[in-house]
Amino acid sequence: MTDMLCGYANRDETIVAFLYDELEPEPRRDFNAHLLTCTVCRDEVVGLRAVRTSLARWEPPALTSLQSPVSETNRSAWWHAVPAWAQVAAALLFLGVSAGIANLDVRYDQNGLNIRTGWMKPAAPKLATAQTNEGGTKLVTDQSTAGAPWRADLAVLEGQLRAELRASQASPQTVRAASSSDAETLRRVRVLLDESEKRQQRELALRIAEVVRDVDTQRRADLRNIDHTLGLVRNDLGVEVMKQRQSLNLLYRASQRQ
Amino acid sequence: MTWTDEELVAKSIRGDADSFNELVLRWERPIYALAYRTIGREEDARDVCQETFLRAFRALPGFRGQAKFSSWLYRIALNLCRDWIRRERRTPVVQPPEDVDLLELAAASEPTETIEDLVARQDLSRVVERAMALLPEEQRTAIVLKEYHGLTFQEIADLVGCPLSTVKTRLYQGLTVLRRELAKNPRTKGPIL
Repeated sequence: MTDMLCGYANRDETIVAFLYDELEPEPRRDFNAHLLTCTVCRDEVVGLRAVRTSLARWEPPALTSLQSPVSETNRSAWWHAVPAWAQVAAALLFLGVSAGIANLDVRYDQNGLNIRTGWMKPAAPKLATAQTNEGGTKLVTDQSTAGAPWRADLAVLEGQLRAELRASQASPQTVRAASSSDAETLRRVRVLLDESEKRQQRELALRIAEVVRDVDTQRRADLRNIDHTLGLVRNDLGVEVMKQRQSLNLLYRASQRQ
Repeated sequence: MTWTDEELVAKSIRGDADSFNELVLRWERPIYALAYRTIGREEDARDVCQETFLRAFRALPGFRGQAKFSSWLYRIALNLCRDWIRRERRTPVVQPPEDVDLLELAAASEPTETIEDLVARQDLSRVVERAMALLPEEQRTAIVLKEYHGLTFQEIADLVGCPLSTVKTRLYQGLTVLRRELAKNPRTKGPIL
């Protein structure tokens, strides 16, 4: 490493801008001219370029694709974008309409709770009854409406819901804003967390598997080396034994001649 | 037809989910690489990356296009990285799931390069990673954004909220520390002087 002994103006910033090719043409010309005469700066530029080369070797681990915040289910299930209160109201409306179609008649009087359904029963005669109150004015009541006062409320509610649904379909931003309710967000986060955890577990397992494989490979290589070395030792021993036998034979023959 | 980021953002705001998925596919790797190089932990980097897109999705209606979509995304990711660094939370050890056969996995992931090449490459990568870990957060972030994401000095200054000259100084100081640290290692010693 070289010590800094150069007094070039804004030296550090100039060197960095030069390294990353972000120096304006004129300062670049000046600095190039300076490099021809200043070994300190020249060495530093070369050294920092080498650092950049080393930096290029740093690779992050591979990434498997992420779970997009916009999942397939969100796209196919459009009703997920409808607020929870609207879904509840729609369910109530559905029940109310079903009850109306089934001609549901619920009464509670001195005979107790009385529930009747079906069109086969004779409906109560639709008579407009005139009643006179204390002020003498007449109140005309449709008996069918009086028998089922919720029908009027349901009709109002139905109209309101239809209007809101139309409004929400016309404005996607409203739908999106509603979809980001806390409950929905929590649900998504939980799904994301679960998936993330599973992915991490799989990756850890993969890493362990890699280690197991590497250890196994090394073990096999070591065993091969040991086997090879033992073979060499055996060969050497065999050669040695053979030489000994030959020597003994020679000695034996020599002793017989004598 | 290839849409620009800004076109995809506009379509996403209008409710086109495919457009946002396209943005995720386009930017998940750069954001993950940024997170990994900033915080240095694979699993946490993945979480940061996932959270970045989740936050971006939720904040999309508020995105007015004052900055490039990528800069906006980088800003979210960097903020999350800073939060993570501040917390310095520890990741619990995860056991491999019971339904995963290690040998089967090992057989399925045969290496495409020799073990020696793989080890050498990973060694070099680790040397650089360790040297980067020594840098203060500001210097490391500046180097990561410049070196691996090709941002201009001005873009980095806008992103991290500091003057242009500060960005250059941080880069110079960071690179100088790296030069000193890498020179200690025989694998990277040669050309660094």
